[in-house]
Amino acid sequence: MENRPLEYDYTVAKMFMLTTVLLGIVGMLVGVILAWEMAFPAVNTIAGSGLAEYTNFSRLRPLHTDAVIFGFTFSGIWATWYYVGQRVLKVSMAESKFLMFLGKLHFGLYLLVVVSVVVSLLLGITTSKEYAEFEWPIDIAVVVVWVIWGMSIFGLIGIRREKSLYISIWYYIATFLGIAMLYLFNNMEIPTYFASGGIGAWYHSVSMYSGTNDALVQWWYGHNAVAFGFTVPIVAMIYYFLPKESGQAVYSYKLSLLAFWGLMFVYLWAGGHHLLFSTVPDWMQTMGSVFSVVLILPSWGSAINMLLTMKGEWQQVAASPLIKFMILASTFYMFSTLEGPIQAIKSVNALAHFTDWIVGHVHDGVLGWVAFMIMAALFHMAPRVFKREIYSKSLMNTQFWIQTLGVVLYFTSMWIAGITQGMMWRAHDEFGNLAYSFIDTVAVLHPYFTIRAVGGTLYLLGMFLFAYNMYKTMTSGRRVEESELQSASPMGA
Amino acid sequence: MDISTFQAYAYFFFTAFMVVVLYSYIYHLYSSQWKGKRDYEKYGDLALHDEIDDHPIEKISENDEKK
Amino acid sequence: MFHWLEKHPFFFAVAVFVTIAFAGLIEILPNFAEASRPVIGTKPYSTLELAGRHVYIKNSCNACHSQLVRPFKSETDRYGHYSLSGEYAYDRPFLWGSKRTGPDLMRVGNYRTTDWHENHMKDPAAVVPGSIMPAYGWLFKNSADIDTAYAEQVTVNKVFAVPYNAEIPMADGSKSTVKLAATLDEAHADALEEAKVIAADMKDQDVKDAVAAGNIPEIVALIAYLNSLK
Repeated sequence: MENRPLEYDYTVAKMFMLTTVLLGIVGMLVGVILAWEMAFPAVNTIAGSGLAEYTNFSRLRPLHTDAVIFGFTFSGIWATWYYVGQRVLKVSMAESKFLMFLGKLHFGLYLLVVVSVVVSLLLGITTSKEYAEFEWPIDIAVVVVWVIWGMSIFGLIGIRREKSLYISIWYYIATFLGIAMLYLFNNMEIPTYFASGGIGAWYHSVSMYSGTNDALVQWWYGHNAVAFGFTVPIVAMIYYFLPKESGQAVYSYKLSLLAFWGLMFVYLWAGGHHLLFSTVPDWMQTMGSVFSVVLILPSWGSAINMLLTMKGEWQQVAASPLIKFMILASTFYMFSTLEGPIQAIKSVNALAHFTDWIVGHVHDGVLGWVAFMIMAALFHMAPRVFKREIYSKSLMNTQFWIQTLGVVLYFTSMWIAGITQGMMWRAHDEFGNLAYSFIDTVAVLHPYFTIRAVGGTLYLLGMFLFAYNMYKTMTSGRRVEESELQSASPMGA
Repeated sequence: MDISTFQAYAYFFFTAFMVVVLYSYIYHLYSSQWKGKRDYEKYGDLALHDEIDDHPIEKISENDEKK
Repeated sequence: MFHWLEKHPFFFAVAVFVTIAFAGLIEILPNFAEASRPVIGTKPYSTLELAGRHVYIKNSCNACHSQLVRPFKSETDRYGHYSLSGEYAYDRPFLWGSKRTGPDLMRVGNYRTTDWHENHMKDPAAVVPGSIMPAYGWLFKNSADIDTAYAEQVTVNKVFAVPYNAEIPMADGSKSTVKLAATLDEAHADALEEAKVIAADMKDQDVKDAVAAGNIPEIVALIAYLNSLK
């Protein structure tokens, strides 16, 4: 029946691969600058005091988080969607002009949003809500991009040849729905220009929620945006790329079913743990903590499933840097999904909240799990998309070890910094007075901030190696035949 | 009954309900695989045999006709 | 049961959505009314204070400073009374923050002065040796956006019935009102009056000159906001 030379069409996947690499470098570069600014405040005026407004820590900080989340991670999610989606549904985008058009439109509008976000954040146009800083005009554009992605998902599913949706597809669908709901609710805002009859800045808006309510909605969003941006879609990737690269079917399909539904139910409940000891009702705080702890089980279901997939095939980890990336990623996944619930325990949270430990937790998740998995996915895709061998295996290995060292330096220094500062804030002397002034607790962090900055710089260095390797693969890797692409990716020396 | 009491009740009953559902589902999955009623694990091959000219694990048209 | 869903994408999507939406409904919605009732003595922001709040947001002060005092002795010793839900009734958006690189600012108006803020914003390390906070020199040059602050006041007054021009009970039993100007020009004049009081306590000659000439630098608005945090 299928004798015609039909091929998967990776045009859109390639576009998003490009932005994954570029925005990854941008986001992490800004992060490294921020890290050095905290260690050495003189870096704040690195471009001269005239430009200090734009190189200052506080102005760059939202740019860092948004570039990594909405730039790097979402580009990665879309790059893999436009690759994995076609393959497991066994339908090519070339079969539908409409879907092809949607894909390109998706990318074009996304670029437009990226540019406007960068400009507006540098100018200080922000709503101040973390990971939802964009003002209403950009919010509308984001919603449009999102709807287009939804059409592209369900469009592709609509013309599929394979009756059953593979595990990865469940997770992509959940990402789409979850973020859509969260983003819409959290960004309910009223443009003041129109409400006041044309006074002031046209782009300014005021939140529909006030005070504690606003905080509730924001952290319900903030926590779950992490769930549906940093967990769910990355799990989608590993369920496809690890079995495919290793040539082993997923260890247990049944376990993946359980893990999926368990995760869906539990994750959303856990948002309340960001509000411990604030003014929300007691029972809700306890509920948030308890569910965060229960959350370990389904999250680990997926990670254990991945590790068991490698059962009897562990020599591959030593042999292939690509498998190394994925195994380290799932290890970090287990690790940070254990760390998160621990931080949600009330007494631990009392110590950890507002400190660098939280920053450390976010980064072992994002650098160790999210970024490693996305890079592994791109490495796996590159030979298939460009029909060329990965340029250098030894460069991959080097990158792996440099970045692993970077992550380890990062989270260990932030743990120590966070716990030290938390302990110092609460220390009392024998007369019941506070033992330390606030600045004492800042000065003590200097060595840890420096170590963190070094760790971050190493990771960024690894990103440059990654970009170089991808570029060389695209332009000068050895051309490969279809038959070499069955499971393990071909790699040059 | 005020709203927060209602919340608390809704929360507890729903949690209990989910636990029952999830565990009976685990039982259902493993027992139907064990009795040979259905082979779930073949769907793991969806990722491995994903070339466009590979045979679908379950063709979409066939199943529709069976219905 | 669930396996059937995988072959029926539409129902699959519906099932996922219901599962994730349910928790949100139970968790978030019902507490809305209660949490938004203001505490006695909580006042809406004046035009200048609101403009200062916008400066605070524009420069992401909330990236390093929280506005949430937790109910622990170590926190109340350091920052004052712990935060109450109703104290935030007029905060749109909330500015609790998530990281304390610098100290909490919930009640900074109680223990810092205009003069202190002026020196500190120009060169934090000169006021607090060892501080890693960057200097905010441009706040002394850029003008505060009074128009947008006024637009926001009009909006929240109209849409959310924030009580401007109405008597608000204070903790000591007295009444207080916060004025909402009838026109934009009037709002500018009111903000300038408020700014003059602040500028009188400042040393920077450029700022004093600017205010005398009817222009309000961002630093003046920011200090007005910080002084209002009590």
